[in-house]
Amino acid sequence: MQASRARLFKEYKEVQREKTADPDIQLVCDDSNIFKWTALIKGPSETPYEGGVFQLAFAVPEQYPLQPPQVRFLTKIFHPNVHFKTGEICLDILKNAWSPAWTLQSVCRAIIALMAHPEPDSPLNCDSGNLLRSGDVRGFQSMAKMYTRLAAMPKKG
Amino acid sequence: MEENEGRAMTCVSSDLQDSNCCPICLGPVLQESYLDKCFHKFCFNCISRWSKVVASKHHSPPSSVKCPLCKTENFSMIYGFDGSYFRRQYMNEDSGDRFTLSRAQRYRLQCYYTEPGILEDIFDITRYWKSQKYHQPNCWIQTWLKREIQALIQEEDVDIIVHHILGVTSASLSWREQKCHVLSPEKKQEEFKMAVSEAARPFLASRTSRFVYEVQLFLASGLNIEAYDAVYMQRLGWSAPGIDTQASQTELVDRNTVTSYLYIFDADCDGNE
Repeated sequence: MQASRARLFKEYKEVQREKTADPDIQLVCDDSNIFKWTALIKGPSETPYEGGVFQLAFAVPEQYPLQPPQVRFLTKIFHPNVHFKTGEICLDILKNAWSPAWTLQSVCRAIIALMAHPEPDSPLNCDSGNLLRSGDVRGFQSMAKMYTRLAAMPKKG
Repeated sequence: MEENEGRAMTCVSSDLQDSNCCPICLGPVLQESYLDKCFHKFCFNCISRWSKVVASKHHSPPSSVKCPLCKTENFSMIYGFDGSYFRRQYMNEDSGDRFTLSRAQRYRLQCYYTEPGILEDIFDITRYWKSQKYHQPNCWIQTWLKREIQALIQEEDVDIIVHHILGVTSASLSWREQKCHVLSPEKKQEEFKMAVSEAARPFLASRTSRFVYEVQLFLASGLNIEAYDAVYMQRLGWSAPGIDTQASQTELVDRNTVTSYLYIFDADCDGNE
């Protein structure tokens, strides 16, 4: 069996076994393709994303874990390091700081950490980055909160 | 940010540290390999592949690789540990350029898989000691030792080890100082065996006693290397490494496949279990 498949299968078993271990992350593998995963992550508390549930799409390369998975937000999110249209994420561990010891689960944890600690100096969403860089934290938070409500929370009534 | 990543990373590693899992394939560790600074454990194949991936991102191969778990810079990996003996590969070492044994060295290595004693009727070790032939210096011993040790530890640069073992050998044969203790041949031989074993064991591990035997055999022969090889191989029924006949070619290839690199280490491991 191909190394990437074997490793993903191990991760799959681990996810099944530890379903309740991290209530903030729910990783699901595609029914027919072990290289396609989706994750639901909860917006971290005390951030404008609190209360929202964000969907991530993972595309795992054949060379995984020697190469990082490609991850993007499917749920719209207003965050300096996430492309507003494509959901692309700017995170060093998904690029040059990748280590094969990371798992899909730990990548989710890193993304949650990124949500709580934006890096406005390397923005993919310039509007969002500029708000933070100019010191308009309130402006940033209200925009982010609005999009969380619009896109990441179940519609009421 | 950096801190958070660090935390996420250690979570993974602490989960894995308890078990015998390789952090890269998440499976049981195959061919345990350790990074030289942080001593994190990986499968040999996993960590080699990863260091190749890292190297491919640079123009020239970097001399160090960050540990996937703790980011410590490591310069080599240590593997093939069998209880007393290990191998080491440096990160910038091109595995294609690694030392490969010459045909003569392969033949020497294969001698260690034969039963000892098949040449004793030709080269009489006991008589060597009894007749005190050891007082005559052997001018081929250094070259012979170098080839032998290169074959046994499969490294090219063995000069220091050769120098060390040669020093001990000639000292215990009193080539240098001719102060003749009146020792019985048995006692003299025992002393020699002890001294050379002690010198060689850190490098040759489980092969030491056979090595000491082979040294005595070579000394007892009084032959130069070529002649010695010819006699040895004739007795074993092999053709000489110098003769490039079709038959010897295929024979060597055959033998080569049997004594592949891994097999050599498996054999060592088996011996220790």
